[in-house]
Amino acid sequence: MSLRVLDRNALPTPKQEQWKYTNLQKALGEDLLKVRPQAPEQILVHKLAGEVSSEPDMVVWKGENGIHHQPRLKILLEDKAQATVIEHHQGAGSYWKNMGTEILLGAGAQLNYIRIQNESIDAVHTDMVHIDMNRDARLNFFSLNLGGKLMRHDVHTVINGSGAQCQLNGVNLLRGSQHCDTTILMEHVAPNSVSRQFYRSILDDSAHGVFQGKVHVHKEAKKTDGYQLANTILLSQGARMNTKPELEIYADDVKCSHGTTTGALDEEPLFYLRSRGLSEAQARLLLIQAFVDEVIDKINDETQSGQIKDLAEKWLKTQLEQK
Amino acid sequence: MIKINNLHASVEIADGTKKEIIKGFNLEIKPGEVHAIMGPNGAGKSTLSYVLSGRDGYKVTSGSVDVDGIDLLALNPEERAAVGVFLAFQYPVEIPGVNMNVFLKAAVNAVRKQHGEEELDALGMLKLIKGKSRELGITDDMMSRAVNVGFSGGEKKRNEILQMAILEPKFCILDETDSGLDIDAMKVVAEGVNKLRDGERSFLVITHYQRLLDYIKPDVVHIMADGKIIKTGDAGLALELEEKGYGEFLGGEEGAV
Repeated sequence: MSLRVLDRNALPTPKQEQWKYTNLQKALGEDLLKVRPQAPEQILVHKLAGEVSSEPDMVVWKGENGIHHQPRLKILLEDKAQATVIEHHQGAGSYWKNMGTEILLGAGAQLNYIRIQNESIDAVHTDMVHIDMNRDARLNFFSLNLGGKLMRHDVHTVINGSGAQCQLNGVNLLRGSQHCDTTILMEHVAPNSVSRQFYRSILDDSAHGVFQGKVHVHKEAKKTDGYQLANTILLSQGARMNTKPELEIYADDVKCSHGTTTGALDEEPLFYLRSRGLSEAQARLLLIQAFVDEVIDKINDETQSGQIKDLAEKWLKTQLEQK
Repeated sequence: MIKINNLHASVEIADGTKKEIIKGFNLEIKPGEVHAIMGPNGAGKSTLSYVLSGRDGYKVTSGSVDVDGIDLLALNPEERAAVGVFLAFQYPVEIPGVNMNVFLKAAVNAVRKQHGEEELDALGMLKLIKGKSRELGITDDMMSRAVNVGFSGGEKKRNEILQMAILEPKFCILDETDSGLDIDAMKVVAEGVNKLRDGERSFLVITHYQRLLDYIKPDVVHIMADGKIIKTGDAGLALELEEKGYGEFLGGEEGAV
């Protein structure tokens, strides 16, 4: 590959397939490209074999005006360890946060990982999550994207052990000219593993969403059970969604499927609710809330899911009141 | 109570053109009366129910609908609900993610709010919903699920009657409530409806078959064809229809099927 494709600042260009929908250079603009990178901050969450954490580990990454942040998070659960990690992204002003996350789950380890991205509206947020799962490991990952002007969320999971179960769930709530790209590569390398991807987005104004999810079943990964679902509701004419589900299967005897829908809210349930006395605005709120709550309910901690539902409700009310 | 006068309504079809379905429909229902409308497929029965409840996609081109002095056609669907018009759907809509209790509470309070009444408190609501759902044999399991999701045909129709019982409308339209029901489920639904007959509340029962009318006894039976009523009689008309079939009645009608 010619080095020329990397262009200035060693950033890839949109011509490269992985960056098809997300123009990082344009989003960063001249100002953010000039800011000096800050030395990486690092946090390690490490649980020893068999250790079961009763309290969640909280990680907060703040963004500051004019800074190029490079946070690094490593979550290492040894065999049969159990933990919950809750990560918040917030900040003020214009900055670029380029996050790197590495998750290693030992045999039988269980991780609940909740990531709430509520960056400043002028921020660029890019992150790369690499997940490595061993035998019988369980991951329940939930991601909420609310903030930022441009987000790129890249998740690469490798299931190396049989019996592992990986759930990637996410809700994206976008308005104005926000752009959010979720790109997932789910690699089933070992047999008898299960993966679920469940993403729902609400897009308003001229927001642009991208979902690219690929399930790659290697030759040895027999009896893989993989499912992927991406649904989007568009609240305005100007909002856009690009969805690219992919299955790449080299093994026999697997169960893999995907589904995707993008559109306005269904008229039928709306009429049903209104015919029972609910105002149009109330009916819309109830239906859209139910739509995103189905994903949020995948979080197996009611305190956390309750807080996230509140955030979603607040966002939805603001948007629907404008209509 | 309700007076429908020379109603004409069209439906917008795919290519944007309009097709007239209701062609000069007249009907008057007095308080406490049960009227049945029978008719062949394509007569416009379901369209009539949608026009009365205010669904999008139907255009009233002329005529009027008056409910206790209120011009129904000027209202949106939620306002019609508050006036006391209730449509029991032929195909109740599944609403994934919206719990039955949440839905019923929202509906009760939405109607109360439109009436300028205070919202019902949690205890009052619980009593109301529990009481009515028991009467209709609706289990706690059904109440814990999302609206109509995973409900059998009979459960969906019972759920419609539950909503009717809870919202206490004054004019109920039952659109082919018997379709897809076995005889036992039909009896349960009919009993639910009969309990709501109080001498004040009026019903319009739309059906293909006489069978339902064995259980919900109508005061007046109308035969509808090609967008209007072609014959009106007492309960005996339904029996006569069952015996002779629609052909006998439609024979002389211009444009009939």
